[in-house]
This record gives sequence, structure tokens and C-alpha cells, in this order.
Amino acid sequence: MLSYIVRRLLYTPLIVVGVLLVTFLLFRVVQGDVSSDIAGKNASPETIAEIRKEYGYDKPLIINTEAARERGVLAVFDSQFFHHFKSALTLDFGRSRSKQKISTLLMEGAIPSLSLTAPIFLGLLITSVSLSMLVALRRGGPFDTSVVVVCVMGMSLPILATILFGQYFLAHKLGWFPVFGYEPGLAGAKYFVLPALLGMLAGLGGDVRFYRTVMLDEIQSDYIRTARAKGQGTLRILYKHLLKNAMIPIISKVVLAIPFLFLGSLLLERFFGIPGLGYLMIEAIGARDSQVIMALTFIISILFVLGNLATDVCYALVDPRVSLN
Amino acid sequence: MGFVERGYWETMLMSDTPIIEIEDLAVSFPVPDAAGRGRRFDAVKRVNLSVYPSQTLAVVGESGSGKSVSAMSILQLIPTPPGKYESGKIIWRGDGSSAEAGSDGTDLLKLNDRQMRRIRGNQIAMIFQEPMTSLNPVYTIGEQITEAVLLHQAVNKSQANQIAIDALEDVGIADPASRLKEYPHQLSGGMRQRVMIAMALACQPNLLLADEPTTALDVTIQAQILELLRTLQNQKQMAVLLITHDLGVVAENADTVAVMYAGRVLEYASVFDVFQRPLHPYTRGLLLSMPVLGKSNERLPTVMDGATVPEDFPSGYVVQPHTIDPNPPGGYGGPDARLYEVESNHWVLCEPTAGNTDAKPAHPRLAFKRDSVAEAVGG
Amino acid sequence: MTAATTEFVPPSASAGRSLWYDAWLRFKRNKLAMVMLGVVLLYVAVGIGVAAGWLTADWKESVGPSYAAPSWEHPFGTDIFGQSVFRKMIYGTKISLSVAFFASLLSIGIGVPMGAAAGFFRGVVDEVIVWLYSTLSSIPGLLLILAFAYALQGTSLFGFKLTGITSVYLALGLTSWVGLCRLIRGEVIKHKDRDYVTAATAYGASKTRVIFRHVIPNVTHLILIDFSLRFVGFIHAEVILSFLGLGAKSEPSWGVMIDDARLELSRGYWWQMAAATLAIFGISLALNIAGDALRDALDPKIRT
Repeated sequence: MLSYIVRRLLYTPLIVVGVLLVTFLLFRVVQGDVSSDIAGKNASPETIAEIRKEYGYDKPLIINTEAARERGVLAVFDSQFFHHFKSALTLDFGRSRSKQKISTLLMEGAIPSLSLTAPIFLGLLITSVSLSMLVALRRGGPFDTSVVVVCVMGMSLPILATILFGQYFLAHKLGWFPVFGYEPGLAGAKYFVLPALLGMLAGLGGDVRFYRTVMLDEIQSDYIRTARAKGQGTLRILYKHLLKNAMIPIISKVVLAIPFLFLGSLLLERFFGIPGLGYLMIEAIGARDSQVIMALTFIISILFVLGNLATDVCYALVDPRVSLN
Repeated sequence: MGFVERGYWETMLMSDTPIIEIEDLAVSFPVPDAAGRGRRFDAVKRVNLSVYPSQTLAVVGESGSGKSVSAMSILQLIPTPPGKYESGKIIWRGDGSSAEAGSDGTDLLKLNDRQMRRIRGNQIAMIFQEPMTSLNPVYTIGEQITEAVLLHQAVNKSQANQIAIDALEDVGIADPASRLKEYPHQLSGGMRQRVMIAMALACQPNLLLADEPTTALDVTIQAQILELLRTLQNQKQMAVLLITHDLGVVAENADTVAVMYAGRVLEYASVFDVFQRPLHPYTRGLLLSMPVLGKSNERLPTVMDGATVPEDFPSGYVVQPHTIDPNPPGGYGGPDARLYEVESNHWVLCEPTAGNTDAKPAHPRLAFKRDSVAEAVGG
Repeated sequence: MTAATTEFVPPSASAGRSLWYDAWLRFKRNKLAMVMLGVVLLYVAVGIGVAAGWLTADWKESVGPSYAAPSWEHPFGTDIFGQSVFRKMIYGTKISLSVAFFASLLSIGIGVPMGAAAGFFRGVVDEVIVWLYSTLSSIPGLLLILAFAYALQGTSLFGFKLTGITSVYLALGLTSWVGLCRLIRGEVIKHKDRDYVTAATAYGASKTRVIFRHVIPNVTHLILIDFSLRFVGFIHAEVILSFLGLGAKSEPSWGVMIDDARLELSRGYWWQMAAATLAIFGISLALNIAGDALRDALDPKIRT
């Protein structure tokens, strides 16, 4: 297992390079020079040239042979490709279209995003795991059937509709929650309640269904029967025997749920005016700010890669069969 | 035998009262038919079995014959739903208060989950076919044995640990104290089954249900485990219900034998009677299909080869044909087939013929200990 | 004495039927799934009808006042331009289904050959393909789709200008082949060294032929199960992309309708929102249920 983790660790730089290549390919090769787009319809050639220079579109894509001839061999690296790598690896993504430092934008956006996604994440996990265990216990019965029906219906509802109707009825019509807004600190907690609830609601159907399958697999195992034959009570069997064994698929799912949370928060932040990373992403798409989108894609992917790595370590913690030494 | 003070077990040994009696048990499961409509199928029907203190009853039959369902029903381990206890009683006389002969005992099927939990693992323990999967992979051996001890005995953690160590020692595991900290995957198959036995016996149950305890193990380990079970049974004077499909295991371990097929008990008698004078054609077929060492067969007879000619069946009784139709009206073995004591201490599933209408179906009860026969012959 | 015979009748052996026919019999038994299959087919028929110009070609036409409430004449009312919301909803089927269709086609076109190549050649080819899909699966799905759709906007491919919906096809197709590729690779590796492949090679069939004649057909049902459920994901992704302005622009799509309805909703004009939601919900529900039944029918081993 240790060798596996080491291998994964050594593989991580390769994945990072891969992510950089994908973003380079997308934003520099496929999309190409967007400076005239940025400058707008009536911009003067000078403005366009300025923008081109600022975003580095004036440099060659891969190697700068021209500069190498003028300024020596090392200047061969003065190209879009190497600047792309350098800016990502030094986490210095330059400035956004609104002239703010992108790294600062990312850091400022992380806190509101986490304040929204962390409660969704935890609430969703606890609710769906508990519910799925109860359902597995009553498998085949009317409770199981109705939960499955509700879950499939929930999964079929587009997330946009959940958010829009939720906001319209619960905040707008009934006035139970503030419709929109953000305040830093604890005072702003009230603005997070409805988006967090809607985020949980949107994810619940799929999660319960997934965990139900996991729990059904486990609850029919022989060791559960052994625990019953010992005289152990139902609740203890669920939380002591079943849950610990179901941990591996749960952990895998949790890591897979992180990008989902990004999706949830992306739209939720947009509708509830929470200035997080999702909001930043949507703004950037609207403003055609490639640099910000590139930086976000890169950072989130790196977090995701690290999360995957952490999963492997977690496996070893919950399952004695997977040993680190 | 000298005049000694009678302890609990001596009372039980002398008594002709079974420690457990299954009466007319029927358990059904839903089986959707071709059209997808729900239909229930009796996995076992009219099952009658008795086990006496410190005796071994072997229940033998092919897979799907209802052996396991019968044993699991004793502990109410059949998941309901989908399963359903249709009818019957399971009379338990193994708890101290109802030990005396003639006691009515408790009907285990009437107990609620709470009452049942006090019996499970405490008065009646069970070991399973797959030691591989029957132990929880994420807990240590020690955690799993002490779990049962702590549930049923008023002891603290360290006392429970000591009980676990003793139990492991009893089942012949070397260095039990350090084994306690190991996980199931670190043990071999045979070791795991020893751990299962230790876990089952840690609370000194009066009845052990052993559901094919050696099927998943290789032959030499099988012999060791069965030997161990026999030794422990004698030491602890406990009753064993041994489920197996291996006639060799039956011949060597059982006092009494019940042959099951398609959810019904076909024949019930002492181990000697079953092997020497099998009466039901199915039993005869089963015995014929056993290979005999040193006897060369061009082709080993199948159960069906042996089963088709029941010529010397006692007169006055008819054996009903068995079909594989999922739920024939009246169940397997014809509408009126019951267990009849067709010879002394020998019960067979059949119907009395016209000439023998006053025969009464009898619930099989047979206190029989092979060791005492061996003693009698030897002495 | 009456001869007491014990007859054993072997269970009636099921006649030699194919996996697909068996699966169909099992599927047919599930009444709800059959209804849902009907619903899916209805959506497909509507989509084809719109694409062929037989249905709602006149969606642009103004049929009434701005924001007319639902009536018998206009079941989902009208929008700001007085266009029939019902017609727009019907028209949106085309976009939604075409996205699911083309994205799947692209995804299969990339995933199957790549997976087969990786599993078959192993070595460097395998390493590169595994690295490629590990990279892509390291980027969270929606983010990747957004990045692809965004970057592909307005660029051209082989002289075709990628506008709106075509970049959505590409973005979804280029990002969704990973799971399929992994599946096929695993199956090819599993089957490659089986005796029947060796046997086929021994009598002169090329291994490539064996892979495509034997291995791929063996996983077709897995591909089908995979896609029946992935379709829902494609449909929902199109809605989000269109909503974010990365999808359809000049034609009505369910995502665009929801985007329009966002502002209408606060003024009480709920019908455009309801129509789009209902349309998405209907096809998703039908696909989810029919997909589950399909999985149960094709692969009785994995039961839920």
C-alpha cells in the first residue's frame, strides 16, 4: 500500500502537467488570441496591441526562436507555453480583466464558497448515509419503495428548477429566508441557510440511491448475520458493523462529490449573490476572461488531485486489510 | 453409575425431554412467477425436528432442501420481509428455568426482537459455512469475541478479554493473547472457523447451530474442526444441530439424523438406523450415491438411480412422490404425507395405505447417544 | 403393495435464447419501465419531428399578447414576444436530444477505440491513454465541460465555425469518453488472454479481429447501460450550459427558457419555467426508470 501511495504521489506531477497541457490547449491553442474580443468592437489597433501584449498573445505559442536569436538561448523559453507553466506553478496568474490580481480573487472567493459548500457537504453526507441505512434495513418494504421513488424523482428534477422555485416560493413568496445577499462573518449566516438547504435537496436523491446500493450490498453480508446471531441490537449493527464496512465506497463517493459541490455552489452562488468561486467563474464566462477561467480550472483540479490522494490514505485508515506498511 | 449429586446437565441428560423441538415449521419467501406476479413459496414446510441435550442431530440434504432455513428460524435470523414464518412452533427448553423435564419451554417464534437477542449468542449460538465472510473484516478477533461476551455477561472489558483468551485457547489457537489483536484477513480459513467457534462458545450456549461449518475448508482442516467440535461438545455438554450435505460427516458425528429434501423432513432416525436401514427411497438414493473406498464403480449411481425402487418399504405405508413444482397443492410429498413412525424409533414422511388407516402421524422424538451404544457393545 | 415411486422431473431447461431476447423478456415484465420506454420514444419522435421541420417550425410566430397566462389555446401561455411557450418547449426537445445523441456518438467514437487500443497494445500506448484519461478525470466534470464549451465558443474546426450548440456537443463528447474508455480497456485486458482469443489466433484470426468480433460485442450491454443513465447527465448539462449562455442562442432550448424565466418568475410569470422544468423532468424520469430496468434486465447480477 505504501508503494501504491508513493506511486500515486509520483504520478501526481504527471497529472498536474496533464492539466496544464489541457488548459494550454483549450485557452491558448484552440481558443487562441481573443484580444480583439476583449477590447470590444470599436477599439483602436493600439488598444488591441496593448491587450495582446498584456496577455502574452504577441508571443509565439511554444518556442520563441526569434527572441533566442536576439537575446540569447534562454530566451527561447519566452513563449506562451512556458509562461503558462510558470504562472500556474508559481500561482501567479496575473490580473483579471477588472485589473485585480487573480490569486487574490481566488483567495477571497474561497471563504464564501466554503461557507456554503461545507454545510451542504456535511448535511448531505449525514442525512443520506443515515437514510440509506434505514432503507437498507427495510429493503423491499413500502418505506424503501417510497424513498426510491422520491429519489428518482429528485434526480430527474433539473437543479436550476430546484434553485429557482425554492428561491421564488420560500424566499420571495413566503419570506422565510432572505432572497439574496451576502455579509462576511456570522451576521451573514442567514443568507446561507436557504442556498445550503437547496443544495442539499438537489444532491439528496442521487446520494441516497448510491448509498442504498452500497448498504444493500453490505447488509446482506455474512458478518451482519453473525452479529445478529450474537444477539447484537439493530442500531448497533448498523452503526458499528455496517457503517465501518461501507466506509470505502462512502469515501470514494465523498471525493467524487466535491466537484458536484462546485457545480451546486456555482449556480447557488449566482442566484443568491454569494461572492464565491462559482460566482467568479460565471462572471468570468460572461466577461470572456480566459485567464480567470484558466486559473480556476487549474486550482480546482489540483485540489481535486490532492483530494484523490487523501482518499487513498483514508482507505488505509478505515480498512485494516489495506495496510500502509 | 454411582449415586452422585445431580447437576443441571445431569438432569438434562437423564431427561427424555428435547432441549429444542421444531414443530410444523413453515417459512415462505416470495418468488415472482413468469408474469412478474408475487407468489409465495414455502422454503420449508411441516418441518419437525428435536434435539436432546448433549446430543448431535445432523440435518442432511442437498442445497435448497431447507436445512439452513430451519436452523436460521431457530434464532429468527430469516430476514422478514422478504421471508415469513407461516406456521409452527419452536419450543426451547434450554434456559435454566425450564430445564426440568416436562417443562413447556418457550416458543422462540413468539419472542420479540428484544427477548430474542437475549437468547442469540447466549443460550443458542450459531456458526456459519463461510468463516471467510462471516467475520467482520474491519474489527479484530478480540473485538468480535468480546462483543458477544459483553452483550450477555455482566463483566468488564478486561474480564471479557480474559474470557476471549480462554475461548481461543479452548479451540486450540496458540498464543491467544496476541491473536486477539489480529484481523480476520491475517488468519487462515481453518483458524477463522476456530475463531467463529470460540466466539460462539464464549458464552457457554446450551445449543450450537453449526451450518455446514466445514464445507468451505479443505479436507484435513475439516477433520480437525469436526474433531474439535466433538471434543468441545463433550466437555461442555452442549447440544449440536449440525447441518451438512456430507454423509461422511454425518456418519462420524451424528447421534440422530434428519434427511431433508425440498423443504420437508423425509426421514428421521438414529444414525445407525439411517445408514443401515434407510427407509425413504430418497435416503436410499443418497446413500447409494456415496462412493465407497475400494469398491470400483463404472458409474456412481445418482440419487435418482437409487431412489426409484423402494421395494422393501414397510407395508401399510406409501411414500408420496416429490415434485419440483414450486408449490404443489398441499405441499411436498402429497397432501396427506406426514412423518409416521413406521418402525420403532424410525420416522418417515409417507401416508398410511388403506389397510392401515389408524396410524397416527408422530412428531419425531428420539433420545439417542451413539457413545452409549458403543459403550454397550464394547462392555 | 402399491409401487411407491419417486419421480424427479428436471426443471424445464430454458430453450436456447440470446442474451438480448432474454433481457427483453425481463424488461417487458416491468410495466412501469415499458411505459417509460414509451415516453422516451415519444420524446425521440418529437425531436425527430422538430428536426425534420414537421413540428413547431412556426415557433417564432407571435400568437398572442405578451405574457398571456396558460389557456386551452396556449397550454403554457406566451412569453414576452407573445410566442407560444408550448411550441418553444416542443422545439427544445430537438436541442436536448441532439446534444445527448451527438455527445454520446462522439464519446463512443473516442472511448471505444481508445479503450480497445490501450487494453490491446498495453505498453506505451496504454500508459499514454491512461495518463490522458487520468488527467481529464482529475478536472471536476462541470468545470471541464464549462472550460471546453467556453474555449470552443467561436473557434472553427476544419473550417466549420463552432457556434453555440455545436460547441456543447463537442464539450460534452470530448469530456465524457473517459468512463467508457476505462470500461472497455478493462474488458479487453480481461478477455485478451482468455483461451478463446488464443484459440482464434491459433487458427489464423488476427487479434484485432478477435477483439472487435468478440470482446466488444460482449461489452455492448455495459455501454448501453452506461449511456442510458449518462443521457440524463447530458440533458441536464445542456440546460446549465445554455443557461450560462454557452449553448443554444438563436433557437429555443429548455436551458434558454429557464434563463428567460429567471426574471419572469419574480414577476409571477411562472409558465415558461414550469414548461421547461416539466419537459426536463419528464425525459429524465423516463430515462432514469427505463435505464434502471435496462440494467436489471441486461445484467441481473448487479441488483440494487
